[in-house]
Amino acid sequence: MRLGCIGHKAAMPIGFTVNSRRPAVADAGAGPSRPWAPLARRVGYRLLSLAVLLVAWWLVTELQVWSELFVPKPTAVWDRFVDSVSVHDGQKGLSGYYLWEHLGASLRRIGLGVGLAIVVGIPLGLLLATVRPFRVIVEPYVNFIRALPPLAYFSLLIIWFGIEDTSKVWLLFLAAFAPIALSVVSGVEGIRRDRIDAAHALGAGRLGVIRHVTLPSVLPELFTGIRLSLGFAWTTIVAAETVDGIPGIGGLAWTTKKFQQTDVAVLCILVIGLTAIALDQAVKAVERRAVPWKGRA
Amino acid sequence: MAGHRIELRDVGHRYRGRGADVDALTGVDLTIEPGEFVSVVGPSGCGKTTVLQILAGFLQPSSGVATVGGDAIAGPSPDRGVVFQQPNLYPWKSVRDNVALGPQLRGAGRRERHEIADRHLALVGLSDFGDAAPYELSGGMQQRTQIARVLANDPDVLLMDEPFGALDALTRERLQDELLRIWRGSGKTVVFVTHSVEEAAYLGTRVLVMSPRPGRVVLDEPVPFDPDTRDAALRLDPAFAEFRRHVGERIGSYA
Repeated sequence: MRLGCIGHKAAMPIGFTVNSRRPAVADAGAGPSRPWAPLARRVGYRLLSLAVLLVAWWLVTELQVWSELFVPKPTAVWDRFVDSVSVHDGQKGLSGYYLWEHLGASLRRIGLGVGLAIVVGIPLGLLLATVRPFRVIVEPYVNFIRALPPLAYFSLLIIWFGIEDTSKVWLLFLAAFAPIALSVVSGVEGIRRDRIDAAHALGAGRLGVIRHVTLPSVLPELFTGIRLSLGFAWTTIVAAETVDGIPGIGGLAWTTKKFQQTDVAVLCILVIGLTAIALDQAVKAVERRAVPWKGRA
Repeated sequence: MAGHRIELRDVGHRYRGRGADVDALTGVDLTIEPGEFVSVVGPSGCGKTTVLQILAGFLQPSSGVATVGGDAIAGPSPDRGVVFQQPNLYPWKSVRDNVALGPQLRGAGRRERHEIADRHLALVGLSDFGDAAPYELSGGMQQRTQIARVLANDPDVLLMDEPFGALDALTRERLQDELLRIWRGSGKTVVFVTHSVEEAAYLGTRVLVMSPRPGRVVLDEPVPFDPDTRDAALRLDPAFAEFRRHVGERIGSYA
């Protein structure tokens, strides 16, 4: 019930996949002699589909199905990519910054906002899950904030904190902390009674149970919450950078409309999407190290 | 030895149900002397687990008094170790750190608690698995680990709730013999809940039979076999079969 209400809005960000791939590999009947074969086949299929897509794109633009103004050529996108990482015509990168500076600025905002959300969300979730009166009073507000589209309160934040980074970090924090806190709540509620009783019978008090049972038990759900938040925050920051977003990858994407630079727009889309997938994979990698027992105990 | 006599005086327990309340226990009077191995057997719903939960301190009885060594049971205590049907090991801790948890909670240093843990892992035949993760062990090994974890606290009383119920027959018999070996000469009191008459008769120095709705004790007898000679031969002994039949009949009349 609780987890269910975290999911629906934030479940869509690019790059977020719920299914773990381990069981899929096992089901594929990988022989012990060639464990890499299914992986190689999957990579092969994906490369093939990518190639088909690129060829189709190239064909459509060569045949001038639509004006190049609407659908830029692959080569034009590539040229803009080269521009974005070099000095050309006496200009540095795009909109005065290199591509990695745009991306870095966005990632920095994300890091601060989601980092703060984790720092606040974990203790908030623990309080919500364990202190009944606190939950009765505070949970509706957490749910309310979670239900809001972040851009709804962005203008308030700009009025309060200015158009620079502070308001954006606040925006990301507000977008990210509720799913994280609620994932901790759901994690605490999922702890088996026996596991807590066992700790009490071994001599643990309230704090001992929190340290040895509650906190580690919550980790799998917490990582799910962080992945949801991060995906959600990424979609939010790209939108938020429409306001004073240079440098910033979302800001760069937004500038393209003014001069109808579809090639830059496509470049931005690719960078934004690939970054979203990379972020999600990074969290998954950390999760595999932090929660090696996931799905096994 | 006299410190931990367990007494239940007119203990009843009632669970608040959605429609009607359920009387899980009524009028249970029971005295367990230190060093006894008491098997509690009965069909599901007879309240045997409720008795154990009250003794563990997880549950306060709705009526009557439960005491250990004369003191009312106010909550869980490391003096009363609980072995659950599920191993309940913590997958984020190694096998060794699981066993060392009790000593850690009472403030033992790293070296001391690891020494205690390794000694108890040796006791249950798992010396080589201290560094393993719990989920890498078989069900029987996990249950051994849980027993080692409880013993590492050196409790006076062991409360065991169908600890071998989820294991295959071979592993179950082996663990029964290990439990007897560990219990003999330890002076520990064991309360062992099971739904298997065979297990109750094989392990206990005394067998209690409980009946359901409401749960109460309907048979309370010493087991007429020397605790030091429980082995494979006893399982085949006609006298053992006769005793099992005797206990089983008492259950059968309520099942």
